[in-house]
Amino acid sequence: MSKIEIKNLSKSFGELKVLDNISLSINQGDIYGILGLSGAGKSTLVRCINGLETFDEGEILFNNQLLCSSTKRVERTNKSKIAMIFQSFNLLQQVDVLKNVEFALEINNIPNKREKALKALERVGLLDKIHSYPSELSGGQAQRVAIARALVLEPEVLLSDEGTSALDPETTESILKLLKELNKELGLTIIMISHQINVIESICNRVAILSNSKLVEEGDLSDVFLNPKTEIAKNLIYSNHVRTKLDEEKTIRLTFDGNSDEPIVANIVEECGILVSILFADTKVIDGKIYGQLVFKLPKKTKDITKLRKYLDLHNIKYEEVTK
Amino acid sequence: MNIQALLIALLETIGMTVIGTILSYVIGFPIGIILNITSKNGIKPNKYINGILGTIVNIMRSIPCVLLIVVLLPLTRLILGRSSGEWYVMIIPIFVAAFGFVSRIVESSLNEVDGGVIEAAKSMGASTWQIITKVLIVEAKPSLINGIAVATINIIGFTAFAYDFGAGGLISKAYSFYKNNTKYFISYSEFFKNPDIWNLIVTIILIVLLVQLVQELGQRISKKIDKRRKAK
Repeated sequence: MSKIEIKNLSKSFGELKVLDNISLSINQGDIYGILGLSGAGKSTLVRCINGLETFDEGEILFNNQLLCSSTKRVERTNKSKIAMIFQSFNLLQQVDVLKNVEFALEINNIPNKREKALKALERVGLLDKIHSYPSELSGGQAQRVAIARALVLEPEVLLSDEGTSALDPETTESILKLLKELNKELGLTIIMISHQINVIESICNRVAILSNSKLVEEGDLSDVFLNPKTEIAKNLIYSNHVRTKLDEEKTIRLTFDGNSDEPIVANIVEECGILVSILFADTKVIDGKIYGQLVFKLPKKTKDITKLRKYLDLHNIKYEEVTK
Repeated sequence: MNIQALLIALLETIGMTVIGTILSYVIGFPIGIILNITSKNGIKPNKYINGILGTIVNIMRSIPCVLLIVVLLPLTRLILGRSSGEWYVMIIPIFVAAFGFVSRIVESSLNEVDGGVIEAAKSMGASTWQIITKVLIVEAKPSLINGIAVATINIIGFTAFAYDFGAGGLISKAYSFYKNNTKYFISYSEFFKNPDIWNLIVTIILIVLLVQLVQELGQRISKKIDKRRKAK
């Protein structure tokens, strides 16, 4: 079921088009990543969803009903169903953690503030910090408070606008773990805006890539990440490091889609008699399966290349030859 | 030296300042809020309201206090039944002269509030009124209190003009020690022969102490209630 559907959304700031005819559909229970470099328009896009930003054309549906359009603004009741967390946490600095969480309820005139706030804080593991002030918290703790503040409204969708970008890798991981748990336990649909590939990769099941105000690729994470079709997506997904190496020589890139657990490199060496020189290797666990890619130099002799191709075809390993 | 007269002068200054400051805030505080929220980056941008209020405030700030007093003499007489001779005749001119800069002080305190927090409140569906009362004022509290101290010190300065209208106060008193003995102020060799020289010095010390007290109090309270970056 489609939870949020964005249809033909366009927005300009004066002459500058920041969103150009964007359409995408986010399903119930998705952890949907929106990836792009800064200035790509991803933040503006997510801010349109909860009414922080208006747009010129198109419409957004929420549970298959019109949420907002160029003429209709997001209603208050819907704002509490679509919660948001931010890169800089955005907590009230002058009140304690508990009051920060109660604040969300206060604004929406919801009773039993204390009880609900404590429950949310317990869920994010901060019961021992309820009387601390935000300045006394670490970045990770502050983001947990922000997540509790979002949860307390019992939202159906959580928007994260670079929610982990200000955190160190370890803390990022723990926040992502928390988000994943919330997604599983509560069926919370999450939309993650990030410029960090590894964040999107480790948590999302679907991804959209935005570049220069346009949607360039969209689909299941494994499809998009293993076989990026556009140059822009390839640029984003392979780090600069790999790209320079790829540019230097003739290489071959193998991709693993979680189906093989054979020692492929060893087999190539043994069965084809080719000594491969690995330029880059990267494997990741996505949804419990191993995915990854391996890049190595193409053998010099044509005979060896043919042998290698045959071997890969035989074993159903996806590959791509990259020449400059 | 007449301690009683000095004390009365002190009380007169405190009276003018406190009531003048309170009145200035009654009008200046809401205007400051409106200036903040209607500004270009505010939560309810409105260039007409902002422009009109801003102009009024700027005009009021640029008219020298003593001229305002003169212009407001009839009004003061109408409201208070007299326009000179008592400390309280200064309240209306002080209020009129001060609410403009009080508005600007309040506005700039509110400008310091982090836009991200306001955005978070908006994303939860907060109304403009809720943002003002639960975000802007709460977050700006330490700065607002500092602002009250700055405004109060400014207003103490305004009480100097009380001399011209016989409204008393410490600064008038100090000034009268000059006015009554102008011949001693020709050179510093004469200066200390002034029979009121010690009265003058003591009065000035009192004024300095008063200003210092307000400043110190404002800073301490502001620091105490500020929950940001507090050392453990």
